[in-house]
Amino acid sequence: MAIYRRNYKPYAGPLTPAWSRWFILFRYSRRNLFRSKFMTGLFVVCFFYPMLCLLQIYLAHSVSFLEQIGIPSRVIAIDNEFFFRFMGVQGVLAFLMTALAGPGLISPDLANGALPLYFCRPFSRAEYVLGKSSVLAILLSQMTWVPGLVLFAMQASLAGLSWTWSNLWIAGSLVLSSLIWIAILSLLAMALSAWVKWRIVAGALLLAVMFFGAGFAQAINTVMRAEWGHFFNVAYLMTTVWNSLFRVDTEHAIPVVEAWIALLVYCAICLGLLMRKVRAYEVIR
Amino acid sequence: MKKTVKGIWWAQIKAVIRLEMKKTFFAKRGLWIYLVAALPVLLFIAYAIATSSQQNRSASVARQGVKRLAYQDLLAVKPGMTSEEVMAILGKPPITFHWTEDRPTQDGTNGSIRVNHEDFHYSDGQNDLFVGLANGKVESLNIRQGINLGQDSIMFAAVFQFFFLRLAVFFGCLGIFMNLFRGEILDRSLHFYFLAPMRREVLMAGKFLAGLLATCTIFGLSEVLQTIAFVWHFPPGVRDYYLYHNHGLEYAAIYLGVTLLACVGYGAFFLVAGMMFRNPILPAAAILIWEGINPFLPSVLRQFSVIYYLKSFCPVDIPASPGTPAVFALLISNSNPVPAATAILGILIVALIALYVSSVQVRRMEINYTTE
Amino acid sequence: MNDRIVFEDVSKFYGEILGVNRINLSIPAGITSLVGPNGSGKTTLMNLMTGLVRPTRGRIQVLDYKTDDPENLFKILGYSTQFDAFPKGLTGFQFVYSYLRLAGRTSESAEQMAWRAIERVNLVDAARRNVAGYSKGMRQRIRLAQALAHDPKVVVLDEPLNGLDPLARSEMIALFRSTAAQGCYVIISSHILHEVDVISDQVILLSNGYVVAEGPIHNVRSEIQEHPTQILIRCSQPRELAAKMFEYPQTIEVSIHKDEGGLLLKTRDADRFYLTLNEMAVNGIDIESIAPADDDVLSVYEYLIGNEEAVR
Ligand SMILES: Nc1ncnc2c1ncn2[C@@H]1O[C@H](COP(=O)(O)OP(=O)(O)O)[C@@H](O)[C@H]1O
Ligand SMILES: [Mg+2]
Repeated sequence: MAIYRRNYKPYAGPLTPAWSRWFILFRYSRRNLFRSKFMTGLFVVCFFYPMLCLLQIYLAHSVSFLEQIGIPSRVIAIDNEFFFRFMGVQGVLAFLMTALAGPGLISPDLANGALPLYFCRPFSRAEYVLGKSSVLAILLSQMTWVPGLVLFAMQASLAGLSWTWSNLWIAGSLVLSSLIWIAILSLLAMALSAWVKWRIVAGALLLAVMFFGAGFAQAINTVMRAEWGHFFNVAYLMTTVWNSLFRVDTEHAIPVVEAWIALLVYCAICLGLLMRKVRAYEVIR
Repeated sequence: MKKTVKGIWWAQIKAVIRLEMKKTFFAKRGLWIYLVAALPVLLFIAYAIATSSQQNRSASVARQGVKRLAYQDLLAVKPGMTSEEVMAILGKPPITFHWTEDRPTQDGTNGSIRVNHEDFHYSDGQNDLFVGLANGKVESLNIRQGINLGQDSIMFAAVFQFFFLRLAVFFGCLGIFMNLFRGEILDRSLHFYFLAPMRREVLMAGKFLAGLLATCTIFGLSEVLQTIAFVWHFPPGVRDYYLYHNHGLEYAAIYLGVTLLACVGYGAFFLVAGMMFRNPILPAAAILIWEGINPFLPSVLRQFSVIYYLKSFCPVDIPASPGTPAVFALLISNSNPVPAATAILGILIVALIALYVSSVQVRRMEINYTTE
Repeated sequence: MNDRIVFEDVSKFYGEILGVNRINLSIPAGITSLVGPNGSGKTTLMNLMTGLVRPTRGRIQVLDYKTDDPENLFKILGYSTQFDAFPKGLTGFQFVYSYLRLAGRTSESAEQMAWRAIERVNLVDAARRNVAGYSKGMRQRIRLAQALAHDPKVVVLDEPLNGLDPLARSEMIALFRSTAAQGCYVIISSHILHEVDVISDQVILLSNGYVVAEGPIHNVRSEIQEHPTQILIRCSQPRELAAKMFEYPQTIEVSIHKDEGGLLLKTRDADRFYLTLNEMAVNGIDIESIAPADDDVLSVYEYLIGNEEAVR
């Protein structure tokens, strides 16, 4: 009988606490993302418009300067429509960013069979999804509601307490409308890339979902002489919701409540698709 | 001797097609293309069902009426008539509906006046007239036309040009043709083809034909089914009239031809793009934009486009509705249509140039699977 | 008529990266092994031979054919690559069969040949299962079957023994031998010399994109042994040490290093030299460090040959 000396000692050092483990994924994915110069450049470009807005707010309050160059100060009104426009521009940029950065987050893991490596560690599927999606969520937040709130704070400090008090809801709208858009975009990007597994194809598919969806919606409305086609047009749904959040008066073809429900249903479908694919193994038939 | 060489090439092309068919027709990964092709068909089926049920309702309303009406009769009602005058023309309405409304007074005081509403619903069996009366006077008139061949064929044309051709066929061809080479590079299985005793050009031809076969079958079938669904709900008389005397059959054939030509044109484009570019999304977006801005280009450049030729075939002009911005009006308008022969030749030449480029490209290709 | 596989001054660069450089080879029939550590250029050489990549410079000829003439070349050549990927959705049999059809064969003859090849690699039982579900060894073997299916005269196999269990390994080796016995050219690559040297008629040792030795295995081994080794010795009194060094017969050449702080020594038998050096150190000469001066080649030999000695 052989007797082996027991000299194996398991790791006894400190462990990252379980609740913050997903953050490791976040750190690494984010570093990976910004390794690309193009991505970094695009990220910088995303701040041009907020800077412009900042300038606009500043100018709007320099009444004397405006009068000097002969523009009535009413031309640049800083109101809900101003923030709505800001949201629209940053929303488009956020979509572009997602189409380029989103699919690279998990499709390489799936394509190269890396998931077993994650899940053989004390690391759950939910944590995996959380870690990966937080990269997108935080990235997109930095482009949408964070600069939005900065603009709001700037305006509030310049316009005084009474303006702030009566327009406080705009800050809430900024955050809420950004969050729902971020949720839709990141879930869509991750679900698509989990299903097709190719980074490039997933990016194309994201574009297709938006454009093809919009075209199909239009086709339905033309043929059926109806308005329910808009339910296939995510961008339209989102605009409807934003309109109501920013209290911008325009005609909606579909009620705001239904737009909300449709968006949430899309989120749920994406989450379901995602969770079906994020598994440690796949059975091949 | 020459003949047997050609025979072998042909056998090889057939073998390539057979292998590719598995991927394009039956792969789970390729199912989306059926969905894309089926969407417009489903749309027209839904349209047919909706219109027929509406037709049935109109017919039943017409049967309930005391008088047999003609379309002219429906048009004779004018705003401001009293209910007696309306009934004199159209008879007692088969369907009426009463309701009241408290309307605020005009002069700004807080009072309100009660208004009695009556809605009459007439039908001539095809078209419906909704007459809204307020306090016994005709206030609103609403005609819902049944089958209007002119309008319907414009609708069909619009869906064909803007949805089917520019989005469905475009993305379908993009998916299938880019996949021919790029997909196999991503899968790391292209070298198996390159290791067969076969000219690379033969391989390319086989793959192109396979893609063409798939897209033409799928989208051609979709186009045929769309047409069937579209004419299916017409009453037999109208259907015969539409098909044989109103260019219906001719248009259907033209639409089918345009679809097939689109597959050839886009197919050749995307074949090259899939071979030349690491990330084919960018060229695809470029082509989409190029085709989009085509109407604004100088006429020399305009000819290097698939849509340019295809558009000049489309038999039904889509009138720009009054509110359309000038930009979109240009997109629709067919400023200088090209003769059919030139257009076909143009597309074939564009396709041949693309195929030539890809044959040069495929001969130079190296197996070099880097990450992704 | 040409009965060799000839490389004439062939180089391949992947952009800036060197794949292989200035390769001159003439490979006769029989089993030829390409041996070298990872990244030494074995796969590149094989891809060049089969036209999957094109040389940056130089000329390659496989028997009578150029490598850019796949239509004729692959009638006589079968290549099992290192890429462990397959077309989607095919069973093992379909995989071998369809690529035979690509050659323009009729379905009956293709079917017959496919089954024969599958039998040769001992995979009949699994042939009707989807390749995606195969184990690594099975995938290796089905690729081998595909390369052998059309009875090629030249068989190029990239790391064919990788991932096989010992039983399968000896079966495969028997297969290579029988193929070579029919007068075929069997070219296999490996990063373990002793795995292939017994069966090889000749070996080609590669390192960092260069051919470092080539020929029948015993020639290569003695060539390596005769190859003088350079050693850099750092010490306080180089001149005294140099004088002592010449007393030993293995020493070929000694030169004092530029900075007077050491000496360069060429010897034919490094092992014996190290032993002697021990004696000297005992005798009171202060030696700071000893390092092989031509590290590259030496470490390759060490890796390829030294390991083998250790195993035996
Ligand atoms: N597609 C490629 N792109 C860039 N460098 C490559 C590529 N393929 C091989 N190389 C480089 O060429 C050298 C030889 O590689 P390879 O022939 O694969 O070696 P081996 O098969 O002996 O392990 C390595 O340095 C490798 O990094
Ligand atoms: Mg290799």
